[in-house]
Amino acid sequence: MKHTLWGAALCFALATPALATDYMIMAPAAPGGGWDSTARTMQEVMQAEGIAGNVQVQNVPGAGGTVGLAQFASTAAGDPAQLIVGGYVMVGAILTNASPVSLADVTPIARLTGEAVGIAVSASSPIQNIGELVEMMKADPGSVSWAGGSAGGVDHITVGLLAKAAGVDPTKINYVAFSGGGEALAAILGNQVTVGISGVGEFLPQVEAGTMRMLAVSTADKWPGTDAPTLMESGYDVNVQNWRMIAAAPGLSDEQKAAVAADVDKLVNSAGWKAALETKGWANTYLAGADFDAQLAKEIEATTAILKDVGLVK
Amino acid sequence: MGTFDFLLQGLSVALQPMILLYALIGVTLGTAVGVLPGIGPALTVALLLPVTYGLDPAGSLIMFAGIYYGGMYGGSTTSILLNTPGESASIVTALEGNKMARAGRGGPALATAAIGSFVAGLLATLALAFLAPHIVKLALVFGPREYFALMVLAFVTVSAAFGDSTMKGLTSLFVGLALALVGIDGLTGQARLSFDVPQLLDGIEVTTLAVAMFAVGEALFVAGQGMRPDDTVHSLKGSVRMTKTDWSRSWRAWLRGTAIGFPIGAMPAGGADIASFLSYGTEKRMSKHPEEFGHGAIEGVAGPEAANNAAAAGTLVPLLTLGLPTTATAAIMLAGFQQFGLQPGPLLFATAPQLVWGLIASLLIANVMLLVLNLPLIRLWVKLLTIPRHWLYAGILLFATLGTIGVNPSPVELSMLLIFGVMGYLMRLFGYPIAPVVVGLILGPMAEQQLRRALAIAQGDWTTLVSTPVSATLLGIAVLALVVPIILRLRDKGAVLSQIASDAD
Amino acid sequence: MTGFTPGTGRRPDGAAFIIAACLAALGLLLLREGFAIPDKGGYAGVGSGGMPKVIGAGLIGLALWHVAAAFRSREPSRPRQQPVPLMWIIGGLALQLILLKPLGFSVASGLLFACTAAGFGKRNLWLTLPVGVAFALGVYGVFDRLLQLNLPAGWIETLIFGG
Repeated sequence: MKHTLWGAALCFALATPALATDYMIMAPAAPGGGWDSTARTMQEVMQAEGIAGNVQVQNVPGAGGTVGLAQFASTAAGDPAQLIVGGYVMVGAILTNASPVSLADVTPIARLTGEAVGIAVSASSPIQNIGELVEMMKADPGSVSWAGGSAGGVDHITVGLLAKAAGVDPTKINYVAFSGGGEALAAILGNQVTVGISGVGEFLPQVEAGTMRMLAVSTADKWPGTDAPTLMESGYDVNVQNWRMIAAAPGLSDEQKAAVAADVDKLVNSAGWKAALETKGWANTYLAGADFDAQLAKEIEATTAILKDVGLVK
Repeated sequence: MGTFDFLLQGLSVALQPMILLYALIGVTLGTAVGVLPGIGPALTVALLLPVTYGLDPAGSLIMFAGIYYGGMYGGSTTSILLNTPGESASIVTALEGNKMARAGRGGPALATAAIGSFVAGLLATLALAFLAPHIVKLALVFGPREYFALMVLAFVTVSAAFGDSTMKGLTSLFVGLALALVGIDGLTGQARLSFDVPQLLDGIEVTTLAVAMFAVGEALFVAGQGMRPDDTVHSLKGSVRMTKTDWSRSWRAWLRGTAIGFPIGAMPAGGADIASFLSYGTEKRMSKHPEEFGHGAIEGVAGPEAANNAAAAGTLVPLLTLGLPTTATAAIMLAGFQQFGLQPGPLLFATAPQLVWGLIASLLIANVMLLVLNLPLIRLWVKLLTIPRHWLYAGILLFATLGTIGVNPSPVELSMLLIFGVMGYLMRLFGYPIAPVVVGLILGPMAEQQLRRALAIAQGDWTTLVSTPVSATLLGIAVLALVVPIILRLRDKGAVLSQIASDAD
Repeated sequence: MTGFTPGTGRRPDGAAFIIAACLAALGLLLLREGFAIPDKGGYAGVGSGGMPKVIGAGLIGLALWHVAAAFRSREPSRPRQQPVPLMWIIGGLALQLILLKPLGFSVASGLLFACTAAGFGKRNLWLTLPVGVAFALGVYGVFDRLLQLNLPAGWIETLIFGG
């Protein structure tokens, strides 16, 4: 009797992985961050909508996602059931950390969500618009201190691109990296720095409360919730979006890749995903297939160039 | 009057029997998980937050408040009894608390920690309710140069944890500072001392170092002394209650700890660990029994425990008034708010007063509940020490590794646990204090980054460091704290010299 | 200085020289790193290499202090240590590290549990190993299943809790 029970349990255990579409999603970051919550939201929605039977999330934190990426590229190769969450931050981290594994070593499927980078000053700042700020940079780049996220991250890259587009030497920008959004925001509100740069979502509540003034956003189109002009509109050729994406394992056949892409497409078009984006305040910037591949290639090229310009990559 | 009305309204909701039951469950769960060595408040809250998702807003909030304060409190128990702090803010609690436990005074140490946490939690939550808008202005006055001055002051107070030998204490501190350099330099993105190991690029995790040095190092050290099976840790002597002297020595420390902890916790770059270091240094300086420090001075438990709980309430100031999550725990809390579709921000007090005041009322209730739960539990906790050592330490190491495995199950992280554990053992063996290593790892990068930020903003002008009244005052206090004892020592040099002479024989 | 208890030896403290050598080596490593890092101080004037140089110099200073102190004092008595219990515990941690991925959390942690108990004198592995694995399974159940902390699963976890 006991033997049959064990045997049945063993059969069940062995049989489970073979049942229908299961996914293991790697979040290359610690629990709690943006990539982790993207992975966990996918998990929730895919299970609730019946897109996949069983979805698990695995966290492999470290070095802007490159630790997880390297592990994923080597252990998941050829397995269509494994996915990894990533984002624009990873593009920069691969370059600055001289990571041996890059996005070319996995199979990017689609861009899921994105956010504009906002440039803002405290309400009491004398700077009224982006034009004035750029004039100050042209006169004395050192006098304009920028508070933003980690060095080489999307905020830093955006400042570099803006300087370059405005004809200011990108190596001369006075970028002060802060760890964690809270500290940078406090420094901006307390007028400790000239200007702040961060995800628009972090500034919007402050702008609504009248404690901060948004000067510009980095995307091609205006961002919902603010009437601040885009950098393009203001005459600077800068278009940056801090996006998150999903990628599959390397070495998949075309059919396998298409199956994953179809599941992701189902996910993005599901009511559950839309509702989740709503509550999290994420913008749907879904882009898949050849369009995404082309966009990704373009961004990697631009990022490499600007990181070289600001001296973070040799 | 608006404030009071809202608070009373919040309290009346929180006092319903079902809600009280949720509070009890939250406090119990929070304490139970928080008490495990190697699992600190941030992980406790992250793990238990989903438990609250299914409840209605009122129940969810109060259970969450219970988990938060319970997790904060739970950390001190193992620090005191087993010398295994689960997080950086209870390291200094272990310094004196464990010495007390070894002397059979674990009961009073736990009691002063519990009552101190209660007093601090109560006062700080009230301060949160009535003073938050003012405190937050203070927080915004602090920029990089002021933070740098605060870090310098914190460094000076660390010397209080050096023990008998300044040389050994400084060595420990510098080892910590050296370890702090590992990883990507936050300001330039430059990798330092990472030897092309990608897992080292993020630096050495404070939790990993603290758990390794304290829990693993302690287990090795105790085992190395060799013993028969079925030995217990240390005997229980005397009452588990606080004596009259304990009370009279504790209450000032509680109040001072609260006064230090709340504003420091409210600062975006402050935090409970720095508050507890500053409180420990203050207590040692103000104590009438400085010679007892390092040998089980009750003020050294009372002050820091009050300070870290007050800082926990202080963390809510920037979160609720500015929408700034300034600690890992606060960041996780944001997720808790989001389930109500709310984004904490400058308008939260105006747009969702019921929620804010409900939370504050919940925190007050949870705080009372925690005291009610924990005072009787002290008898039970102290019994932990009667578990045979082999079972006890086997369990401690299992939980110590669980925290690391759960957050980052990479072989590199576990190897660090092993290497630093052996290092902690060797340091114990040769009489080097452990706490300054962890303090160096925490304060080193903060001081370095704030200094370089301040200099970058001022474009390389060093006078910026003393250019505001706040930074100049803080640096002035630090210099006095460093110089005055040296002058006093020089004055007593004759006495010291004769002491050395007698020691040498 | 009062920490030095009268020792048994009449020679300078040998361990202090080894510690001093380690500190000096660490200090030199930091100095080398400090000078090797390209100076990217920017507007601050102090770059990534600044702090390694300062701390490296401090460590070398402390190494010299140790040497000086070692000549002045004699070898202090240290708590007597037994190597066997230490080996058990270090071995247990190493086993857990190696076996975590292939065997899963419960078996690897159960081994650590049993080895630690052995280090504290309870060498009866037939008792401690099953107790350790069962305890770790309970911990796995609570933390992985109930609280969603991702712990590495092996065959035993899959068998009991399902895939």
